[in-house]
Amino acid sequence: MQTLSRVFTATGLAAVVLLFGLTASPAALDVRGAVAGQQAPALRLPTADGTYLSLADQKGNVVLIDFWASWCAPCRHAFPAIDQLFVDFRSRGFRVIAVNLDEKRQDAVDFLVARPHGIDVVFDPRGDSARAFGLTGMPSSYLIGRDGTIRYAHAGYTDKVLDAYRLEIERLLSEPAGGEHTR
Amino acid sequence: MTRTGRMVLLTLAALAVAMWTAGCATVQPWERARLANPCMVFDYNGGQADFASHWQSAREGSSGGFGVQGGGCGCK
Amino acid sequence: MQVGEREPAPAPRNRWRPLAVAGVCVTATALVAAGSLRGENILNIQFHTFQDSRGVTVLEPIVDLDKDFTERSGLKVKFGVDAITGASDSCARCHADGANSQRTFVNVDYRRKIGDYKLDVGGQISRENFYAADTAMVSISRDLNKGNTTIAGGYSFSLNQPQLHPTQSVENQYAHDLFFSVTQTLTKNTILQLAYDYNRISGYQSSPFLRTRVNDIMVVGNTPDLRSRQAVVVRLRQALPGDTYLQADYRRYFDTWSLASNTFSLGVEHYFKPSLLVGFTYRWYGQTGADFYQPSYTGNPIYYTGDFRLQPFNSGTYTGHVVYTPAHRLLDLLPDKTAIDLQYDRYQASTQFASSMFTLGLRIPL
Repeated sequence: MQTLSRVFTATGLAAVVLLFGLTASPAALDVRGAVAGQQAPALRLPTADGTYLSLADQKGNVVLIDFWASWCAPCRHAFPAIDQLFVDFRSRGFRVIAVNLDEKRQDAVDFLVARPHGIDVVFDPRGDSARAFGLTGMPSSYLIGRDGTIRYAHAGYTDKVLDAYRLEIERLLSEPAGGEHTR
Repeated sequence: MTRTGRMVLLTLAALAVAMWTAGCATVQPWERARLANPCMVFDYNGGQADFASHWQSAREGSSGGFGVQGGGCGCK
Repeated sequence: MQVGEREPAPAPRNRWRPLAVAGVCVTATALVAAGSLRGENILNIQFHTFQDSRGVTVLEPIVDLDKDFTERSGLKVKFGVDAITGASDSCARCHADGANSQRTFVNVDYRRKIGDYKLDVGGQISRENFYAADTAMVSISRDLNKGNTTIAGGYSFSLNQPQLHPTQSVENQYAHDLFFSVTQTLTKNTILQLAYDYNRISGYQSSPFLRTRVNDIMVVGNTPDLRSRQAVVVRLRQALPGDTYLQADYRRYFDTWSLASNTFSLGVEHYFKPSLLVGFTYRWYGQTGADFYQPSYTGNPIYYTGDFRLQPFNSGTYTGHVVYTPAHRLLDLLPDKTAIDLQYDRYQASTQFASSMFTLGLRIPL
């Protein structure tokens, strides 16, 4: 009985130590991706018809880059919501680049066919742009200001994130194009 | 070594292996297409898992070990 | 009468409580209406039928509602009316007075994200003739390595109270359970889980309904008051080419009653179409008996039992299941992506016991 309780205590302590060890080790902590304030990494990806879309061409506009995939459950809610943002704000200089990360193009096509949309969709099956932006979760999105710097980053999608988008886009659209933004 | 001691050692060894594999190839969040499939999620149908555990504990002398979460699409 | 046999009971009528199920549906609707719909909210309704070689047939409906309230918190409520009381610890149905007994249970689980940790707090209440069980549980988990590693641990406490029918006296049984697990994504197609479970039960652990033969007299069993149980589990999920998935589980169990077991389970699932999933699983189970177990006893044994779960035996279970997710809304009523699942289990033990189980389930995303 005493041996058993000693063994049990030892196992419990070992488990706790391992747990803390894993959470504390630098390799285990999530590496932060592209952060606000940085110049956005270059992005140039093909659309469905083969033409290339580039982030650099969008300088002067406020751009939302949304990384999504057909298998990502929150993306099913995010996609139509982001399309609606585009409808609401495009006249004021707002653009969306929806980067699809499906490895199989057909999965993405099936998803898109079921969801009529006005936003631009580009395809990156190898995930190079995702790597460049350092995504830590799916879906991930980055709001780029008129000067090409990342201003806001979001991982995940909820109604709260959607509300945040509206506020952030309004703020970014109110900034003058091409000049220094004031904090 | 007692049987309990052997089992504890085995578990710790297994955990050590798990920690080691944790340092191996990291699957990126956008590469989780197949991992997001319900077939890859442990006990996806929780109701079915509970029912199985129920009739098994009614017939068998063992219990426990199953019903823990983890894996899936990793979506935030 | 042979050991392990309970007194003959009349075949119970198939019963379930429509009112109880309706009550759950009302609660479910109220929960759905409260708060906006978001995330992966699921209503899972299942009907199980259980038929065994003793001619017993029962029906068990279970309703399971899972709802996110905010992006950080959610609630899961499960309710069931279970007539497999021969399947409960009390084996009340083994006795004529418990023949039409039903077990009703409610399980509630609240989950919350606190920083990088996820906390689950829950409880279960279960009631039937001659047996009550109350459980409280807490667990915590954390994702590491961009979601490639999940560490989880938890504790639960149960108070189980069998009534020593036909007397009115109630015994207490206390069970502590502790678990710890690591789930690791190995490749884009492979995930591995290691888990350890420790369980300690103290208090009355016999049954007033199961008798054994001691010196040619049928008596109620007498088992030790303490049982410490441990299980180590390894589980693998592997995605194979061609929309096929492999599932392999192994559990090694042993306890202080010297009962040890091995459980192996192997399953394959395949998508014939994106909307049609078919799977097959085989589970093998083998256990030694408890050290004080004997088919019958002579002399002056300290411990003796008629509990059939403590005998050495092995068993095999064959399971087939189909999940169908129609592209068009079912009955034009149910939401998109509602899935119907059907499952059949066939269980055969070396003790000549066999049972068939059939499940019909409806999984409704909200």
